[in-house]
Amino acid sequence: MAAPVKQTEAPEQRPSRSKLGSLARKYGAALGPPVFAVILAMIAGAIVILITWPDKTVDPFTNIIHAYATLFTGSYGSFGNISDTLVRVSPLIFASISVAIAFRAGLFNIGAAGQLAVGAMAADMIGLTFTSWPSWLLIPVMLLASILAGALWGGIAGFLKAYRGAHEVISTIMLNWIAFYGTDYLINSPPFAAPLGITQTIALPPNATLPPIAGVINQIFGTQLDTFTYKVDISIFFALIALVIYWFIISRMTFGYELRVIGQNPKAAKYAGIPTKRNTFLVMAIAGGFAGLAGSTNLMGQPGYNLTATAFSILPTGFDAIAVALIGQTTAIGILLASLLIGGLRSGSTAMQAIAHVDPNLVLIIEALVLFFIAAQFLPVLRRALPAWLRPRFVPTLQATVIDRTIVAQPENGKGDAQNVAEIPDIEKEE
Amino acid sequence: MFFQILLRALTSQNTWHTALEFAALILLPAIGGVISERSGVVNIAMEGLMLVGAFASVIVTLAMHSIGASDPLSVIVGVLAAILAGGLMALIHAGVSINFKANQVVSGVAINIIALGLTSYLVFVLTPAGQGVPSLSDTLRLPVFPWGPLANIPWLGYVLFQQNVIFYVAILILIGAQFLLFGTNIGLRIRAVGEHPQAADTAGVNVRLLRYLCVVSSGLLSGLAGAYLALGEAGIFNPNMTAGRGYIALAAVIFGKYTPLGAAVACLIFGLGGGLALPLQDLNPNNSNLVSLLSTLPYLLVLIALVGVVGRTTPPAADGIPYDPGSE
Repeated sequence: MAAPVKQTEAPEQRPSRSKLGSLARKYGAALGPPVFAVILAMIAGAIVILITWPDKTVDPFTNIIHAYATLFTGSYGSFGNISDTLVRVSPLIFASISVAIAFRAGLFNIGAAGQLAVGAMAADMIGLTFTSWPSWLLIPVMLLASILAGALWGGIAGFLKAYRGAHEVISTIMLNWIAFYGTDYLINSPPFAAPLGITQTIALPPNATLPPIAGVINQIFGTQLDTFTYKVDISIFFALIALVIYWFIISRMTFGYELRVIGQNPKAAKYAGIPTKRNTFLVMAIAGGFAGLAGSTNLMGQPGYNLTATAFSILPTGFDAIAVALIGQTTAIGILLASLLIGGLRSGSTAMQAIAHVDPNLVLIIEALVLFFIAAQFLPVLRRALPAWLRPRFVPTLQATVIDRTIVAQPENGKGDAQNVAEIPDIEKEE
Repeated sequence: MFFQILLRALTSQNTWHTALEFAALILLPAIGGVISERSGVVNIAMEGLMLVGAFASVIVTLAMHSIGASDPLSVIVGVLAAILAGGLMALIHAGVSINFKANQVVSGVAINIIALGLTSYLVFVLTPAGQGVPSLSDTLRLPVFPWGPLANIPWLGYVLFQQNVIFYVAILILIGAQFLLFGTNIGLRIRAVGEHPQAADTAGVNVRLLRYLCVVSSGLLSGLAGAYLALGEAGIFNPNMTAGRGYIALAAVIFGKYTPLGAAVACLIFGLGGGLALPLQDLNPNNSNLVSLLSTLPYLLVLIALVGVVGRTTPPAADGIPYDPGSE
């Protein structure tokens, strides 16, 4: 019912717009909902502070401004803080790619946390076993081991989904807990465990670690940057490369195209002769590989260079990744921006607690609300609820973009397109 | 040697007592999950709903106690608060997924995150210096309910008749839910709404109302489970104390093929997996670390069961799809 209207009006609209304008509209439509969601969530977070009012010596509004100011300066206020934020952003990017690539194929990978754990453990085991290897050999082997371990963990879920019909949400959750307890066991067990009483592994030897960026700069330019203050390591560049690879897989490879078809319409994919089962298995394995890298790069890049028991079950990265993938609308550039946002929130929350006395868990509330506001298609509902003269008017050319985006954000909802088609006539009647 | 220890573990009354305790704890949210999914709303938020229930039960019990209410009254009000809190949280999930047609899995994830964030945040705000909730005294906890002379039967008495009071409530709810879903008119309507909402709507069933009721009741049950966890087993509230139990309940829902009785069988298997972890420690008494490896047992069992025994489970046809009266 919507189609004929669009066809008649679109040709009139399009030529009159400049290319720049249409570009701006395109990115505006993509950026709009997430930005709006983040702003709404921040307002809601402010209300939480307003109600609970943590620092009674000052008035609540000063509290809110103070909290958000420290949240920002704590994450991006200085080079040292930016470095700390990037330390969190790097694994977040890897894990988010893992979640996002599965989303593209209509799969929900809650298992990034477990895949990350086994990835880190595999790299650690290699690093502690072949301590005498030179770093040019050891580091790639460790990274490869983490990719393979993660791919195995994700691949199990993919295999069960493809060939046994087991829901990937269940199997990845189960695999998460097996990974958490299994790594706990290995971390505490003889060959890798640190001397008695400490529930962590021995630290990796220097030839198994990734150098901090500041250290590399010092070596090349002879500067005296403090690697303790600027501790972000070169894995952030690996993460950026991973984003490019992700973009290439999704946008430039046949495999990526097949994934998107499977995600948007599994039946059509089947009729088109796309090997749905094989691709389901493969995409979960690839997702696991990316998540595995999140574990190993963080282990190898960040001082300590050891794994502690029970750390993985409380590590938020795997679950934050879900939020990041959704906020970033599963695009590479979106993931980058959303990782900077969520990583920044996490990183700044410590400063917010120390200086503004607001519990860091406020950041979790904000994160969940962002998810709600993105997941709930409340924009159309909100628009309809407004009185007619207040309702924003949209040109019909926007329609295609809106539909595109919704399918990407909700790949497993087979009726996603149908809903939007059903909602759009409402808007059109106003034109 | 191995079989001796396994046999001893399998016949020990402690194993079965713990197994049933654990099973009842995840049975409540699992029944809630079954009801919600049968009505066509995917609910993976049991973890968060339980956590909110646990939090509310402890905070309200302590608050009632501090304003001078008698201990049993404090506990009862605490449990009611837990049920209410779970229901309210589920109401958000219901609204977001039924009215705003959100992706229900995403909404569930968001509920889980917000439950963790909100409870941890409130613990920090509500307790002096943010040091956490104090441990509850025995009189402020949900009591064990011994069945008089039956409790003295060797083995069986300890396993079946000396359980926490909520254990028996859970069994009553199990029977009730099974009857409700498969023996009553309302149950038929719930299942119809989950299979083919358009047809149910045509037949005069209020699809949205029924879905709201089902999702909220899953919240009520999860909240009760939270109270059982906090006031019954742990006697304290810790941030993230549910530790994945809600997700196991979710697995039980699917494992049990979306029926309360099936979910109960699944819960019993998971419970046994949990109950066996400690006694099997005897396999290697020198390695105290073995327990973390054995803790993977219930999860491994689920995975194996997913592959072998259960095979392909078919969720209700309209599960996860928001109802749109305009379509078809």
